[in-house]
Amino acid sequence: MRILLVEDEAPLRETLAARLKRDGFAVDAAQDGEEGIYLGREVPFDLAIIDLGLPKMSGMDLVKALREAGQRYPILILTARGSWQDKVEGLKYGADDYLVKPFHVEELLARINALVRRASGWSKPILACGMIKLDTTAQTVTVEGKLVDLTSYEYKVLEYLMLHAGELVSKADLTEHIYQQDFDRDSNVLEVFIGRLRRKLDPEGTLKPIETVRGRGYRFAIPRTDGDDE
Amino acid sequence: MDADTALPSRAPTATTNELESPRRPLSLAARAAIATGFVLAGFLGLVGLTLSQANNERALSALHDRLQNFAIAYITNTDVNRYGNKLLPPSDTLPDPNFSRPGSGLYAVAVGEYGFHWESASAIGRDFSFLKPLQPGESQFIGPIDTRMGRLYYYSYGVALDTDDKKKSVQLTMTVAQTEAQFEGDNAVFRRTLVIWLSILGVMLIVLQLLLLRWSLTPLRKVASDMSRVERGDSEQLDSQYPLELTGLTERINAFINNEREQRTRYRHTLADLAHSLKTPLAVIRSQLESAAGDEPSRRNGVLVQVRRMDELVAYQLSRAATSGRQTFASAVPIAGHAEDLVQSLEKVYAAKNVLCEFDIDDDAVFYGEQGDLLELMGNLLENAFKWAGHRVLLIVKTQPSPGRQRPGLRLSVEDDGPGIAEDKIDKVLQRGVRGDERVQGHGIGLSIVQDIVHAYQGELVVDRSPEFGGARFSVKLAAS
Repeated sequence: MRILLVEDEAPLRETLAARLKRDGFAVDAAQDGEEGIYLGREVPFDLAIIDLGLPKMSGMDLVKALREAGQRYPILILTARGSWQDKVEGLKYGADDYLVKPFHVEELLARINALVRRASGWSKPILACGMIKLDTTAQTVTVEGKLVDLTSYEYKVLEYLMLHAGELVSKADLTEHIYQQDFDRDSNVLEVFIGRLRRKLDPEGTLKPIETVRGRGYRFAIPRTDGDDE
Repeated sequence: MDADTALPSRAPTATTNELESPRRPLSLAARAAIATGFVLAGFLGLVGLTLSQANNERALSALHDRLQNFAIAYITNTDVNRYGNKLLPPSDTLPDPNFSRPGSGLYAVAVGEYGFHWESASAIGRDFSFLKPLQPGESQFIGPIDTRMGRLYYYSYGVALDTDDKKKSVQLTMTVAQTEAQFEGDNAVFRRTLVIWLSILGVMLIVLQLLLLRWSLTPLRKVASDMSRVERGDSEQLDSQYPLELTGLTERINAFINNEREQRTRYRHTLADLAHSLKTPLAVIRSQLESAAGDEPSRRNGVLVQVRRMDELVAYQLSRAATSGRQTFASAVPIAGHAEDLVQSLEKVYAAKNVLCEFDIDDDAVFYGEQGDLLELMGNLLENAFKWAGHRVLLIVKTQPSPGRQRPGLRLSVEDDGPGIAEDKIDKVLQRGVRGDERVQGHGIGLSIVQDIVHAYQGELVVDRSPEFGGARFSVKLAAS
């Protein structure tokens, strides 16, 4: 999951970036609106966190510019003032959620997960594909009701694949969305992760949840059984 | 007086002063009417006096001429025989028939040497002993004097009459008298006519004066009505054309209004900056503490609790300071559009909950105050409802027109189908600073902010159960003004 973080306050930006990375997100941090719009246009993010009080280009303008540039990923705005005027304006310009500073980091993570999930068409916090269930809130995975022990990178890879269940996800997509920019893309770490995931999810080899599309990428093969009964 | 008298009471400044000074200075119209009334009365009185004086003098001189003519007529017709006896004219040659009618008020008396006395038929039996003989050639016009016949004017003329042979000369004083009653009768008619016409003139002038006054005070009335339009929020400032004498005043009022608005804007921006600069460090502390792995979690939690308290204090006090409250020059903020924006925003944020928000908003509903205050008020109430609602939220905004008031009252209520608030908890929920919800994210200060805004606008906040949905209902009532 690749996140754009635009925040001018260095300590906050660094703390948040570190925390997000620890949770398995790929984070690109920008310190002002101009850097934000540059990154936001170039990189295929899954979500952007934008502070409203930015130098050079206000957060509000940045949200507007990103939407005008055709970027569809969810945007979460951070506002210090917390006035409804800001919130309404930000949401009107294309943001999807807001958080008032200061906030719990846990709250931010929950919002991020919910936004990403919603953006890929899942309305409930638990992604269910057949026997495999991924709880985005608790960040746990169960197969046939049994908890599967995953590392945070493995979890992120699985989450990304399940969010896009049924769709072809290229290796480049996966690397870009899971890893930092400086990650060595030529290495076969990704194949190793996928291999480990397959073994952990499907030790007997009966479910075959992740299929390899030769030369193009991967697809989560089990269809969604996410009961949208609401 | 007419409607003009009531004019200054409509001016907004006058209403605020009313409490302090029980006696209001006279209205401009009353002042002008009284002043011109006095001037007019004085002027017309003087005119009347002068005219009647002039008429009196003219009448007096006419009387003088008349009596003189009578005297001369008598003298001309008087002969003296050779013995020096005076032969007064017979009654058929009288200059005026009144001389022969007793008590007619017109009398002729001749006095001469050696006790000579003659009087016209009208004067028989009257006492003219006060008459003194004059030297020939002397004449006098006297009056009015008090006599037994009443007040009298008389003309006396002294002559020396020669006998035919010119040997003898006798002196005679001819007096013609007229009572004042006759003279005054003429004057009274004149005076009455004069008074009638001057009164008519006076009334006409006063009416004209009042019309002129109305006309010349029209711009002031215009200023007053424009002012109440500004107060109602129908207009941003005094924007009509005013006469030169008033532009100094109206331009300053406009400058004052603009200044007040700018000051408020500046104040809000300062607060926003302050909020940003206070809250960002708090956010840093919080995120660093929360992300800090490892040791001494109890101490960390202690600091976190304090940070949260500081954060709530800052948020609450700043929003409290930003609430501007009831204002004289508030613009009217239409509610419907803002309500839709808020609901759309909240529907986006609470998309996962699938909340259906219906609203019933009067088209003409407006909020007299800061747009920011309206957004905070509705935003916090709506967010609260979205948080607690199962699936339904209802927003009702109704105007409550009250005749005679410039701004109608407003009733705004937000209901949801959530669990509602138990009756014994309502007081606690409304108690400032108490967090009504610990479960759902939020500062818990939303309701406090709502209460402060309602308080600042002298409104009323009532919490009860939604009759339709069974959840909580928050109603805000703002009185007409």
